[in-house]
Amino acid sequence: MSLQSSFIEIFISHIKREFLINFRSLVDVISIISFMILIVTLFVLGIGPFEEKLRLISNAIFWIGLILAIIPSLEKTLQRDYDNGWLDQTITSPTPMELILLSKSLAYWLIVIIPLLISLPLFIVLLNINLKLIPWLLISILVGGLSISLIGIIGSALTLGAKRGNILLPILIIPLIIPILIFGVGISEAVRINESPVNNLFLLIGFTLIYLVISPFISAFLIRIAISR
Amino acid sequence: MFDWLANPNRFNRITEKIQPYILLIAIITLISGLYFSLFDSPKDYQQGDAVRIMYVHVPSAWLASFLYFSLAISCVFYLVWKHPLADLVSSSMAPIGALFSALTLVTGSLWGKPMWGTWWVWDARLTSMLVLFFFYLGYILLSNAFERKIDGSKTASVLAIVGLINLPIVKFSVDWWHTLHQPASIIKIGGPSIDDKMLLPLILMIFALSFFSLYMIILNVKTKLIEKKCEALLLKSNLEEMSKIG
Repeated sequence: MSLQSSFIEIFISHIKREFLINFRSLVDVISIISFMILIVTLFVLGIGPFEEKLRLISNAIFWIGLILAIIPSLEKTLQRDYDNGWLDQTITSPTPMELILLSKSLAYWLIVIIPLLISLPLFIVLLNINLKLIPWLLISILVGGLSISLIGIIGSALTLGAKRGNILLPILIIPLIIPILIFGVGISEAVRINESPVNNLFLLIGFTLIYLVISPFISAFLIRIAISR
Repeated sequence: MFDWLANPNRFNRITEKIQPYILLIAIITLISGLYFSLFDSPKDYQQGDAVRIMYVHVPSAWLASFLYFSLAISCVFYLVWKHPLADLVSSSMAPIGALFSALTLVTGSLWGKPMWGTWWVWDARLTSMLVLFFFYLGYILLSNAFERKIDGSKTASVLAIVGLINLPIVKFSVDWWHTLHQPASIIKIGGPSIDDKMLLPLILMIFALSFFSLYMIILNVKTKLIEKKCEALLLKSNLEEMSKIG
């Protein structure tokens, strides 16, 4: 019991640490939101200002913008801790690395994905998204965002110490997150054509649960490889 | 069995014996398979002669998926039991598998031109094959992205295993996406029922390409073993020279 409670304490303290480091500046979230607005603008400029066309693909644009905007920030999740030697120190501590990484991806989710929801009204206006979609969009971003951060930590661990890691990361990550895009857009599309989106939502939740289980172990394994260099 | 094969010298000795036979089988099945598929198989009543593309397309698609599976299994062997040979095997499989998936995409689009009227259709199978190609590409890029070869091998092996978990999900989700957006109306290559006359060349071609890739993998592994030996010798001679100077 004491072991369990100490694990929970460690878990919470790590999340607090991430908050302290990242929340001192909100630059990350602001830059992600502005990047996303720019991606949406590029899409609209490419398509043309036709209401009809936009209504058909606005959900896809939104999800692609979200994923593309998040990817560059994923690299930083572990790189800084690796560079300043924090990972080398924590790996020698008795706390399991898996726990620390789980707290790290949850912290990333809390710090980056949840503030992104603030920008949701903006995109609803920009892309003419139907208002009845909002609750579903909220749920799907929360769930999908969790799996993006879980996969992102794997990607970040894969490219630790790699040459040209920042270019490599999207190539490695995007094939892995294709299901999130498909299920996420599927939820929105189902609502748009008045069908039940629960199928897609359950699939998205299932996908997230798989990575919730395997992501900490895989990334901890990768970090042990990276540290042993 | 893998333990037993994992010794490089033993591997060399055994493959020395069986390699010519593998090549022989590959050549024989390739020639007979090509003959049957090009001259002695019926035209499809819908697809005409274009159906003959299938005899290259289907085996390479099959091999691309199978090679990824074996690559990931061999990565498991490398990470768990730390056989250096397992890494050589998986890194030799990667370019061949990538080539086969590229071949699948090219033949698929060549087949698509007369059938669908365009070079590329976002068909569920073609799309998931494209994703498979990027998994291969990611593996190859990551294994070359590190200063030391061994770091790249280990990290890329983990990626291959993650891909093994993720690929069925991608495959499923792409199928799901396809049925979601349009009902299955496109003729699928090699439908559910297939004539015996067509099955024979197909099986022959599958054998031919499998044995050919087995031969190429063995050749690749052997080359890499020789490379490693050369590196070790170079290191040794450098050390000796240094000790002479010292």
